[in-house]
Formats: sequence, C-alpha cells, structure tokens
Amino acid sequence: MTMFTYYLELAWRRCRQNVPIVLLVVLTMAIGIASCMTATTIFAALSGEPLPGISDHLYVVTMDSRTQGDANDAAYDTPQSLLNLRDAKALVDAHHADSQFAQAQSLAQVSTTDGKHSDRVIGLLGYGSLLSTLGVPFRYGRPWTEAEQTAHAPVVVIDATLAEKLFGTSDAVGRSVTMGTGTFRIIGVTAPWKPRMQFLGLTQNAGNLLGQDMQFYAPVGAALDHGVGPLNTGKCAKSAPVVNFQSTHVTHCRWIEVWVSLDAPARASAYRVFLTHYAQAQHQAGRFVQEPKPRLFGTQAWMDRLKAIPGDVGLNVVLAGGFLLLCMINVAGLLAARFLRRQGHVAIRRALGASRRHVFMQHLVEAGALGMAGGVLALPLTWLGLWVVRMQPVAYAAAAQFSPGVFAILALLSLLVGLAVGILPAWRVCRQPPALQIKLA
Amino acid sequence: MEFGPILSTLRRHKITAFLLVAEIALTCAIICNAVFLISQRMERMKMPSGVAEHQLVMLQVANIGKQPDAKARTEADLAALRRIPGVKQVALVSQVPFTNSSSNSSIRLDPKQKLPTLNATQYFGQDLIKTFGAQLVAGRDFRPDEYMDYDAVMRNVDLVRNRTPSVIITSELAERLWPGESALGKRLYFADIGVRVIGVVKSLIRPSLFLGDDAAQWSMVFPLRMNTDNASRYVLRTDPRDRQRVLAAAATTLRKLDPHRIILKKRTLDEIRSDFFRNDRAMAGTLLGVIIALLTVTALGIVGLASFWVAQRRRTIGVRRALGATRSNILRYFQTENFVLATIGIAIGMMLAWGINLFLMQHYELPRLPWFYLPVGAVALWLIGQLAVLGPALRASNVPPVVATRSV
Repeated sequence: MTMFTYYLELAWRRCRQNVPIVLLVVLTMAIGIASCMTATTIFAALSGEPLPGISDHLYVVTMDSRTQGDANDAAYDTPQSLLNLRDAKALVDAHHADSQFAQAQSLAQVSTTDGKHSDRVIGLLGYGSLLSTLGVPFRYGRPWTEAEQTAHAPVVVIDATLAEKLFGTSDAVGRSVTMGTGTFRIIGVTAPWKPRMQFLGLTQNAGNLLGQDMQFYAPVGAALDHGVGPLNTGKCAKSAPVVNFQSTHVTHCRWIEVWVSLDAPARASAYRVFLTHYAQAQHQAGRFVQEPKPRLFGTQAWMDRLKAIPGDVGLNVVLAGGFLLLCMINVAGLLAARFLRRQGHVAIRRALGASRRHVFMQHLVEAGALGMAGGVLALPLTWLGLWVVRMQPVAYAAAAQFSPGVFAILALLSLLVGLAVGILPAWRVCRQPPALQIKLA
Repeated sequence: MEFGPILSTLRRHKITAFLLVAEIALTCAIICNAVFLISQRMERMKMPSGVAEHQLVMLQVANIGKQPDAKARTEADLAALRRIPGVKQVALVSQVPFTNSSSNSSIRLDPKQKLPTLNATQYFGQDLIKTFGAQLVAGRDFRPDEYMDYDAVMRNVDLVRNRTPSVIITSELAERLWPGESALGKRLYFADIGVRVIGVVKSLIRPSLFLGDDAAQWSMVFPLRMNTDNASRYVLRTDPRDRQRVLAAAATTLRKLDPHRIILKKRTLDEIRSDFFRNDRAMAGTLLGVIIALLTVTALGIVGLASFWVAQRRRTIGVRRALGATRSNILRYFQTENFVLATIGIAIGMMLAWGINLFLMQHYELPRLPWFYLPVGAVALWLIGQLAVLGPALRASNVPPVVATRSV
C-alpha cells in the first residue's frame, strides 16, 4: 500500500514535468472512452428484454390463417403474426399456455361523459389476460374479468396520465368515459406504462422503436361493439367490406396478435404441438385455404426477425470500439516514448535495488492513474455525446440517457484502458539492463 | 535517400515504431470504410423520386365522421384550392412519396400464375401524373373519361372486371416485367382482374421502401378518383418561391370550407423528403465526425511521438550537424522516417480495410468496398503524417551543431 502511494507520488511528479504530453494522453483517452460509452449506452438501452423478466417467457403465434384469398394474394414467405379475431379468441380460450392474450393497438378519442374533457390516445384492445401477463402496474382497481369479457361489458382500464387529464385525479375507478359510440366504465387505473422497446404489433409499427405510453386498455368485444376499432385493420379477405383506418368491420381481416407466456422450453414445444393441431384442424376443415405453417417465436427472435433494432446502432458500436482501440494505441505509443525517455532514472532505481517487478508496477500505476484521469474527463464528454445523439432526429434518440450503470461501467472501462495501454510500455522499460543505462545517465 | 540509417534507428525503437504503424494502419482501415459508408448514404439520399419535388406541397386532413356527400365536398375543395393564386395543379391522392404510408399489391403477368411476380405500390387520384410532375417517357396520360370513382370500384369490382382499365407504370417496373420490350399495351393481373399499360413514366418512387431500395421504383398509377372519405392528402403544385404562402392559404381555404376537419400535416415535399432520409443523414454526420476525430487523434499521436524522438536524439542530431549535415538533411530525415512508417501502416491498413469491409458485408448488408477508396485513405494518411511531423522535424533541423560538444 505504501509502495502504491509512493508510485502515485512519483507519477504525479513526473506528470508535472511535461504537462502538454500528459494532457494529450489524458484527452485522447477521454475522447476514446467517451465515444465508446456513448455508443454502448444507446446499444444497451436498445438491447435486452423489452419487459425485463416477462418478455423472455412470451412467444408470438404466427400462421397462414387466410380463410380465402386476400385482395392482394401474396405468397406466404414470411411468418405472419396477424390473425383473425375468431382464431385469436379460440387460441386464447384454449388456455393451453401458462397465460395468453390477444392484442392490437387502437387510437381512440376518450372523453368524459359530459364531453368537457377529451384526449386522443393510443391504447390496446385485448382479449384474455392482457394486463396481468404483461405485468402492467395498477394504481387502482383491477383488470377485466373473463365474465366481463364474455358479456362484452363496456369496461376500460386507463392510465394515470389520462385519468388526471380527464378527471383531475388518478383515482378514477367507477367513473365513466365516452369512447367511440359507447360509454365505458373505468374499472382500473394503471401507472404510465410502455415496454422498453416496442415488441407488440411490430409489423404495424415499424420505425417506432421506443413506442409510446399505452393510455387505455379495453376488452376487444366491447370495443368493437361500440365503434372502437384497431389502429390498423391489417390484411382483409376479398369479400371484406371496404375498411378504413380505425374501422370496426374487421370480421374478414387479420389484425390481432396472440401472445402466450410459457415458463419452460418444454412447455414451448408442447404448445407448438397444440398450435400445429389447431392450425391443421382448421386447414382440414377447409377454413384455412393455405398450408398454415404455424410457428411460435420468442420475443427476442421475433424482434431480430423483423429487424426492430436499426443496424446503425450496432454499426456505431463497432465504429466507437475501433476508435477507442486507436486512441489506446496512440496513448500506448506516447507512454512508451515517455517511459523510455527516463531509462536513466529507471537504471538508477534498478541499481539501488528495485526489482523489475517494482519498476513494472510503478509504470503500470502511472498508466492506470492517467487512465482514471481520462475517465474523469470522459464523464462530461459522454454526457455531451449523449446530448448530441438526443438532438439527432433518429428513432432511438430518446434512448440516449445517462444512467448510474453507465457511470460504473465508465469508471471500470477507464481503469482497464489505462492499464491495458500501460502494459506494453511498462514491460519495455523494466526490461532495460541497469548497467548500460547508468552510463548514459 | 537515407533509408539505411532510418531503418536501423527504427529497429532500436521497435515498440514505439510498431505502435505508430498500428495506429496508422487502423486509421487507414477505418477511414476507407467510413468514407465508403458515407458515400453509400449520400447516394441513397439522392434517390430519384420522379416528381417535381421543389414545386410540391402536401396537406393531410382528417374528417370527423362519415361523409355522405364526400364527392361533392371533394369537388368544392379542389375548385377552391385551384383558385388560390400561384397554384398550378391540385390533386387529391391516395399516397405521396416519402410519407412511409402506402398501399401495395401483388401483381401477376398471367392470371393463372400461382405465385405473384412482384409487389408494387399503387397510386390513385385524378390528375396525379400532371400534379406530381412525373415525366411520361412512353404512351400517354389518362383521358378524363378513363377515371372511375374509387368507392364505386371497391363496392363492385365487376365494374372493372371486364373493362381492362388502364394503368401507368414506371420505366424500371416495365423493364423488370418485360425486359427489353415495350410495355405499352401489355397486361398485368390483380387476382383475376387485368389492366393494360397505357403509359410509362420515367420514375415514381414508392412512398415506403419496406421491400428494400431495389424495389423503390416499382410503382403503378390507376385512373381512380378519390374523395374526402377515402383519401386524405391534397397535393398542390406551385412555384418554389410560393410554397409557404400556398400552404398557408390552402390550410385556410380547407378550414373555411369545413371548420370541423383537422389539418394533420402541411409540409413541402422537400421537408418530407428530408425527414424520410433523416437516419441516413444522421449516420453520415456521425461517420464524418468519426473521420475527423480519427485523423486528429492520429495527427496528435504522430506529433507527440515525433517530439519525443527529436528530444531524445538531440545529441545525435548535433553530431550529424557537426559532421556536415545541412538543416534540410535533418528535416528530410524525419520526413522520410514518417513516410516509411506511414507507408508500412498504410499497406497493413489496406488489408485491414478489406477485412473490415468483409465483416460489414456479412453483418450490415453492405456492398463490397470499391478499390478506389483504398488510395483515398492512403493519401489522407500520407498527408496527415507529413503535416504532423513537420513541426517536430523543423525543431530538429534547428538543433545547432554545438549541442554535440555539450554533455547532456
């Protein structure tokens, strides 16, 4: 420990001798670390679980569920997650998974019954255990029950933001709102909620990576009864009536996704068997006109398949990594030159009894200290980098946020960088034979 | 030239020389690829749309509720918009380039064909070709009597089933469907409904590139008349200088005709286009920043190392000067040394650049790096190296011969 502080003192004294080079070393490391931190922060924010602890158990159902030719009859070359409501209901009602739900996004004008307060908000139409499976946090009230769902009871769950906007309080349970042509009773109020990344309804939301808060949740039966339709009607069969945006005439359309929660991989393979049976039965009964090719995709596999995360994010990490490597080589070169200039001093220390190990450690401590200094400087630079990204008009801009985890990684990274760049020069300098260098000194 | 002494000196500074070479190699490799990536993005941003972009403005409106008299309202809207001073053409269209929202259809060359030939986008709207300013290269535009109401056709497809309606397609789509032949008079099929090509436009980009950039020009225009109930986008053509005024006037006009509707968007097509390519622009900006940062860091590294070497060799330089070397000999020595190191670095860097390109080709669907990007990186690094070493080398050439006689 005393040696360590002594080495630090030596390093400090040496640094004062040549301030410009030390500044150059520290600044180079800081820029390298900061660029790397900026890119990895965004990458980290956009990778991992959209719903930690929940979405890794979720699977989406895909199959070719066309009951007759579509208006534009395309080949089924990519798995399609959008299903007809009838099939979605059948799959959910089968209760073959640990829990299951069907969902589709909707956009609705939600008003107080007196019409004085109103807002146009995004929400989900759901069937099955939508709210509990997704783990949407409730402030007040409860999700809808199976009985309410079957009876098409006009009930709705809204989020606290909407509740406050409409009623001035978040405890809005028991009040009513007007949506579409109907009056819906509020049975629950959730905290503001959205997944970390959009993964539900991906095919219809390409490019909107971070999504937005879901502000209402309505059982699909009651919603369609009262003129609240899905945001996107998906693909419709030839005989379907002309459907527009927000239409409720979706009987002949495929527009709703089924997600199932399966805790163990074994359960997933069992569910695949069930799914195949269901789809084949529909095909044999003549309902599905095409070979249904049912498949089950895990959340991550589904997001990868639809390229939910833009390739640019990964490319940025590769670039930033290359840049950090360059900065490290640069600093290593400067340090090597710097250390070798003091061969004379080293030789005297060696002659006075310092072992190679000591000399190596001394230089490594100096490099590590410079690395930490670089890290301290990298902190404001990272902040600046993230700010620049937030200013960019890209889909992932809002993901560029500084977090405490970033700080910890930054500290660790800067120490590692300092040590890594110091190893080669320190090794080189400790290999000097003492006698020759004393003469030069 | 004095390569001999340079090489023997470098052999004595293996680690620092190695690090400098590695730095130059890495910079060279990244820069070659970064410049290539930028050029790819710039190329993409220049993608032709086939419409008179600088002259177009768009207003997107939302109507509240179903409108029974949509057709009459549409006529009134269009007539009022045409009366705005400076407006040359007006159309109510189903979709607009670069708006990311499109209607697409699978088409077949033969109704009995099992799999569709390709998927193309479909534009609807009266006077669309004229208003967009799309350039006809063969055939003709639709005649007024060819237009049918979109609603009527959708309600009863039999209206068009046996009439073989007309369609106008892009030259790229024509070439894709019938390579080397004239597309005029040829037939396309949507399920069992056939349409006949009567015109070919030079280019008309599809609103959303979800099928990749190669399918960007697969567009068709149909003689279908839209109304306020099934289309929401008014496109107006005007002089580039009048665009803002026309936009404002058009919004006022539309609101006056129906105070209940909401104007969702009012923008020039230039703005819409710029927004469409914002990711590419951001990426090109990032890459440019990376190139500048790389060159700066490398230059600073060279300056730092060269300064150390000069300081370290002061005495040697003094001896050489005392033995008769001129200032320019010393200057040239350091310049040559840098050139040698840079050349080794560049040679390694080119191989590395190729390797990085292979990696990017696998992971990010990029094309192969054209060879001429390699000399670009090489020249940049030679220049940066020479500029960076100039200061320290001049300092070295100013070491007086008398240093040789002093003990250090």
